[in-house]
Amino acid sequence: MRRALVGSAVLLLTAGFAAAAQDRWLHVKVVDAAKGGESVNVNVPLELAEKVLPTIQAEKLSHGKIKIEGEIEGVDIHALLDAVRTAGDNEFVTVNSPKQHVRVAKSRGYLLVQVRDEDQKSAKVDVTVPISVVDALFSGGKDELDLVSAVRALKEHGDVQLVTVEDESSKVRIWVDSKNTSE
Amino acid sequence: MTGRFSRAKTILLGLVVGVLGLTFLAYAAGTVWVGVQDKKPGGHRILVAVPAVVITLGLELVPAASLREASAEAQPWLPAIEVAGNELAKCPDARFVEIRDPTEWVSIAKRGGSLVIDVDSADERVHISFPVRLVPSIVRTLKMSTPPN
Repeated sequence: MRRALVGSAVLLLTAGFAAAAQDRWLHVKVVDAAKGGESVNVNVPLELAEKVLPTIQAEKLSHGKIKIEGEIEGVDIHALLDAVRTAGDNEFVTVNSPKQHVRVAKSRGYLLVQVRDEDQKSAKVDVTVPISVVDALFSGGKDELDLVSAVRALKEHGDVQLVTVEDESSKVRIWVDSKNTSE
Repeated sequence: MTGRFSRAKTILLGLVVGVLGLTFLAYAAGTVWVGVQDKKPGGHRILVAVPAVVITLGLELVPAASLREASAEAQPWLPAIEVAGNELAKCPDARFVEIRDPTEWVSIAKRGGSLVIDVDSADERVHISFPVRLVPSIVRTLKMSTPPN
């Protein structure tokens, strides 16, 4: 009897942890720094995004994949990503001009993009994307982004700060964690 | 005399059980609330509460032609709405969207099994809430009314 109770408790706890692990939320927070400016908070369960995206059939979005427009002729994006994936931690692009600093690098399983604008001292952009998510995003055809696979990869990844954009007029933050609020 | 009294008691009991059952069903299915408050001086205030079950049953009474028209318009979005409804039902309570500026506040949240939409602007306050479980059943009804291609 006691063994059965302990077994049930372990089963319940495991189920509870499994359920908790599935609850991943994508948060978007935009704050207009101007006096009386607008603020926007969006909290989306990744599970919801994963299930709903494939059902949306819009102009460029179909079956959870979005068509890339623009010129990418001559660039084999898959070969490029494969090179990034197999390369060790490295700086891929560094641009230092009097007005702007740009850095694209791979570090500890993340693709990093950093932009600093010297004209506006407070202007900075930081993008941190797990390589597994980049892989998933480009796992579809040549000219499409597989959003559903990317969401799935994000779900399996731990907490991550994806994007922060700050300048004098606004702050934008996009991140994933297991909380259902953006506070 | 005793037999007649006993039969009356049985009928009364049946009625009470029926009313209680219907009340429970209506309660379990949830309620749709729509509230609008005009903030202007002397502005009106409207509050409508309809049991969700009435809406589901009411859809059956809508003329087929009107339902077909509504269904045709919503057709591209019905699968997404149905899946979103099913997934939202599984979600914990949360605020999904909040937009705030000096003149307006908009919130879309899930509270206690209902999707709650609030808009508070300088002119009016609007509150809409409906059980999330209502969404898939409405979508199913609309899908069934869609003529085959």
